[in-house]
Amino acid sequence: MGLRWFHFAAWGLFALGLALLPELVSKGTLRTLIFANYLAIFAISWDLLSGRTGYISFGHPFLIGIGAYTSAILTKRFGVEVEIAIPIAVIVTMIAGLIVLLPALRIRGSYFALVTLAFMELMYQLVQVIRPDLTGGTRGMSGIQTLTRGAVNGFYLSSVLMFVIAVAAWLLLRTRIGTALTALGLNESAVEGSGLSTTKLKMFAFMASAFVAGLGGAFYVHYLGSIAPRALFDINFVFTIIVAVLIGGASTIIGPIIGAFFLTFLLEYLRPFLPGAERYFIYGGIALLLYMYQPKGIYAMLMKAWHSLHERAAK
Amino acid sequence: MLQILIQGMLLSGLYALIAVGFTLIFSVGRTLNLAYGAYLMLGGYLYFWASQSLGIPKSLAVLMAIAFGIVLGILKFRLIVKPLKGDHIAVEISTLILAVVLQAGVILIFGDSSKILLPIVGGVIYVAGAPVTYNMLIATLASWTILLSLYFFIRRTDIGRAMQAVSMDTKGAAICGIEPDRVNLITWALSGGLGALGGVFFASYTQLAPSMWVGPLIISVAVVIVGGIGSIIGTLVVAHIVGFMEVIVVSVFAPELRGVFTMGLIILVLVLRPQGLFGREEL
Repeated sequence: MGLRWFHFAAWGLFALGLALLPELVSKGTLRTLIFANYLAIFAISWDLLSGRTGYISFGHPFLIGIGAYTSAILTKRFGVEVEIAIPIAVIVTMIAGLIVLLPALRIRGSYFALVTLAFMELMYQLVQVIRPDLTGGTRGMSGIQTLTRGAVNGFYLSSVLMFVIAVAAWLLLRTRIGTALTALGLNESAVEGSGLSTTKLKMFAFMASAFVAGLGGAFYVHYLGSIAPRALFDINFVFTIIVAVLIGGASTIIGPIIGAFFLTFLLEYLRPFLPGAERYFIYGGIALLLYMYQPKGIYAMLMKAWHSLHERAAK
Repeated sequence: MLQILIQGMLLSGLYALIAVGFTLIFSVGRTLNLAYGAYLMLGGYLYFWASQSLGIPKSLAVLMAIAFGIVLGILKFRLIVKPLKGDHIAVEISTLILAVVLQAGVILIFGDSSKILLPIVGGVIYVAGAPVTYNMLIATLASWTILLSLYFFIRRTDIGRAMQAVSMDTKGAAICGIEPDRVNLITWALSGGLGALGGVFFASYTQLAPSMWVGPLIISVAVVIVGGIGSIIGTLVVAHIVGFMEVIVVSVFAPELRGVFTMGLIILVLVLRPQGLFGREEL
C-alpha cells in the first residue's frame, strides 16, 4: 500500500486539528463546520463512485435521501431505536445502490449521468405521493430523534464519522482495487482485457459509495432532526456535492474534504457581505473558473507546490 | 376524452418546441448541454422584463428574448465548450455549474418569488367544452412550424447539410472543407434562440420561477433519449408520447404523479434500448 511515516503524521495532524477546533472557534462556526463535515462525507461518497470510475452520478441525493428517509421513517413512525435504524438504513441504501448499478452495466458517460438524474427526480416525486403518511409528503418530517445536543457534541460526532470514513476510503483506494478502479475510469475495455471482471469492480465501487452515502444520510437526518424532499432531492444539492469534489480534486478522497471545507467557509465568509443568493452566484462562478482552468482541483495545486518546495530543498 | 386529446396536443407541441434545441446540440456537438434549461429561464425572464416592466410591445419582446438566447448560445460555445475541447463529461459538469450560477443570477435580479407572465396572445376559445387559450394554441402552431422548417433547413440548405456531416463524422466533415467550429457555433446559436423562444411559451404556460429550468431540462432529456439522438421526427413523436402521458396521468391518476411516467420512461429506455426508440438517425 506504500504507507509512509508522513501519511500517518498528516492524518494524525488532521485528527488533532479536528479535536482542538471546538476550543478555538465560536459555536456558530462550529455549526458551519458540522455542515462541512457532512458535505465532506457526501463528497467522499460521490468520489468513490464517480471520481475514479468515470461513472458520473448526477443523482447522488437519491442514495443519500434513501438512507436519510429510511432511518427517519423507522425511528419516527415505527419507534425503532436509532442504533438499529441506522444500520438498516445503510443496508437499504446499498440495495438502492444495486438499482443504480443496473444501468451502469450497459451504458456509460453522459447517458449514465442522465439516468441518475432521472432516478433522483423520480424519487423526489414518489416520496411526495407514495404513502405520505410515512414520508410526510411534500412537507417532509420534523421532530426526528437527534443523536446529540449542542454544537460541540454534534461537531465531535460528525468529525469522528467523517474522519473514519475518510481514512477507510483513502486506504481502500490505495489497495489494488483502487488501482483497478482508476483503470476502469481510464479504459474500461483494457481492464476487461486484462482479465478483471468490470462488473464486480463496478459493483464494489457502487456498494462502497452507497454505504458511505447511507451512513452519511442517516447520521445527517439525525443531526438535523427534520427532512424535506425539496431540500434533499435537489439539483442544487447535487451541484454542491460535485463542486466540493471538483474544487478539492477528484479521486483523491482528501480533495473532497478540502473542497467541502473550502466551500462551506467561502459561503460563510461571504455571508456578511452578501446575505442571499448572491453567494451562490459568486461561488458558482469561482467553481466554474477553477474547474475550467485547474480541473484537478486544489489538491493538485497543493501537491505541485509541495513537490517544487521539495525539489528546491534537495538542491 | 376529447379534453385529454386537446390538452395533450397542446402540451406535446410545447414540449417538442422545448426539446428540439436540446436535440440539435446533442446530435451535432455530442454534448449534453445541461444549461439548456437556463436558456428557457433567461428567455422567459427577459421577455417578462421587456414586456411587463419596460412596456415594449410583446412581439418585439419575444424577438429580444430570441436574440438574447442566440447571444447566450454563442457565448457559451466560445467560453466554455470550445476551451474544453470535446471533453463531454467536463462540458456537462461545467454547464451544470453554469446553470446554477445563472439561477442565482436570476434570483439576484428578479427575486426568489415566482412571477406570473401575462399570456403572449390573450383570449380563450372553447373546443368541446375544454378551454383552449390562444396562447397555447400559438405555442403549438409555432412549435409545428419551427420543427418543420428546421427539418427542411437541415435537409435542404448547405448549412443544414454541413450540420448533418459534422454530426456523423467531425473529421470527415473537416476533410471535406467544412469548418466544424463554425457549424458548432451556428448550432449553439440556433439552440439558444430556440430555447429562449420555448422558454417564453413555457413560462406563459406555467409561471416564471428561478428554479423553472429543471423541469423542461428533464423533459428535453427524456424526449431526446427516448427519441434517439438527433432524430427530429423522433423528437416530435416522443414529445407527443410524453405530453399525452402527462395529461393522462394528471387527469386520470393524480397531478402529483405527472413526472413519474417521464422519469420511468427515461430509465427504462436507457437501460433496455440505449440507442433510443428511433435509433440514431442523422438529424
